[in-house]
Amino acid sequence: MMLSIEKLRKAFPLEEGELVAIEDFTLDVKKGEFICILGPSGCGKTTILRIIAGLDTQTSGKISLDGKIIKGPGSDRGMVFQEFALFPWRSVRKNIEFGMELRKVPVKTRHETSQKLIELVGLEGFEDAHPHELSGGMKQRVGIARALANEPDILLMDEPFGALDAQTRNMMQKELLRIWEETKKTVVFITHSVDEAVFLADRIVVMGERPSSITEIYDIPWERPRERASMEFANLRKEILAKLEMMVRPE
Amino acid sequence: MAMITIGTIKRGLITFIRPSDVSLKTDRRIQFVKTIIITIFSLSVFIGVWWGLSLLIDTPFLPPPDIVFEALLDSFIRPDITTGRTMWDNVVTSSIRVAWGFALAFVLAVPLGLVMGFSKTVESFSKPVVEVFRPIAPIAWAPLLLIAMGGKVGPIIVIFIGVFFPLLSNIIFGVRSIQPILMDAARTLGAKRGDMFIKVIIPSTVPYIMTGIRIGLGIGWMCVVAAEFLGAVGGGVGQYVQFKTEVNRFDQVFAGLIVFSILGLSTTELSGWVERRVMKRMGLK
Repeated sequence: MMLSIEKLRKAFPLEEGELVAIEDFTLDVKKGEFICILGPSGCGKTTILRIIAGLDTQTSGKISLDGKIIKGPGSDRGMVFQEFALFPWRSVRKNIEFGMELRKVPVKTRHETSQKLIELVGLEGFEDAHPHELSGGMKQRVGIARALANEPDILLMDEPFGALDAQTRNMMQKELLRIWEETKKTVVFITHSVDEAVFLADRIVVMGERPSSITEIYDIPWERPRERASMEFANLRKEILAKLEMMVRPE
Repeated sequence: MAMITIGTIKRGLITFIRPSDVSLKTDRRIQFVKTIIITIFSLSVFIGVWWGLSLLIDTPFLPPPDIVFEALLDSFIRPDITTGRTMWDNVVTSSIRVAWGFALAFVLAVPLGLVMGFSKTVESFSKPVVEVFRPIAPIAWAPLLLIAMGGKVGPIIVIFIGVFFPLLSNIIFGVRSIQPILMDAARTLGAKRGDMFIKVIIPSTVPYIMTGIRIGLGIGWMCVVAAEFLGAVGGGVGQYVQFKTEVNRFDQVFAGLIVFSILGLSTTELSGWVERRVMKRMGLK
């Protein structure tokens, strides 16, 4: 077991009392596992990911990575953002090398690593392009490569394909699975798309409305690539969708 | 008849070029020529109106354009009888003042602005002082500064005050405008406070610094006039305009005004050009 989240709680203080965003969230993620956290918007799934990344702090509870308690951000966890969050003044290569620059990796190693990553994510020929010259899908390829460049144990992805059109999104999902199989990273992937979760995950963690904790966990032991048109895919999707609909309170 | 669309294959994707793209270059050239023609036309109309007015009103305060242009040319060729300076000398003197005042403001405003935008402690300490000084028109300082610091350094300090505050505000605003998500990304990649400052804050503030420079230089030219009116030592275009008003040479006054226009315009154009170059170099479009 590598990532362990124990009784996580996050509350925001209000003028009177507090707003509880996350309550009693407990999850263990195995090494190399692909986890999707699925839930309606506003359920606090991004908050969980930000706490794992060290960008936010929990009110109580414990998170450890390989037995080490998480305190603040660290290069053992790579994060990919929905908004890409690329540095616009840096070229593709320079964006990817950002983390290595900070770790004072020698220039030669830096170049070799970034070149390998550029090939891994399929951006050959765009090494010197700047983010504004790239399409959404290409931007996120840079985002993934940049996160991988620090050789993290785990990849945290916050709705990484949420800003992409449907076609690009499907292609990027396939690309991500290929990259995941090649690098054997552990992935925690946030999404609100049931389809995406069923296509990608080893396990789907379904979260409920606020104050949210885990409502249900689905194991998906199927082979990849998964066929969206298959009966079992459609059935599981329907089941999870029904579950989500039940949770969303009528306004 | 419609033109044939041309397709190219790039990374397995076929991109189609519309006929309008093909003629984009010619379009732009036509546009450029049009702009020039319109500019010439608009300036001709202006000069015509000026000419008409000067004939109509017939006052020494509004000399006709031909006399003014003659005075302008003459001022560059012949040294002035009383001061012994040509307009070139005055232009150089004023430019050096603006350059010094601007450089001083830049050297102080950039680091202070970056730190004020970044550090809450520094900001809360320096903000009251900055806010007290900001509303004072830089020209209001001029009489005092010229007496206290003399006609050589005084004008430079007036320009410094004029340029400093807009530049500072722009930089603080720039630091504040950084997308928080870029800072988040940097932190997850292992950036500490110092890295954040150098590798995220400074580069993303560059466009705001460039805008501050453009605005600051414009204000610098306004301030140099005021400072030179109030008794700068060693000439300058402002002083030229003032002397010529005193001796009723209004043609030469207008010549001085035209020189100011050209100086301000070319400074703005130049800094705009540098701004575009820097942005392109940084890959920010």
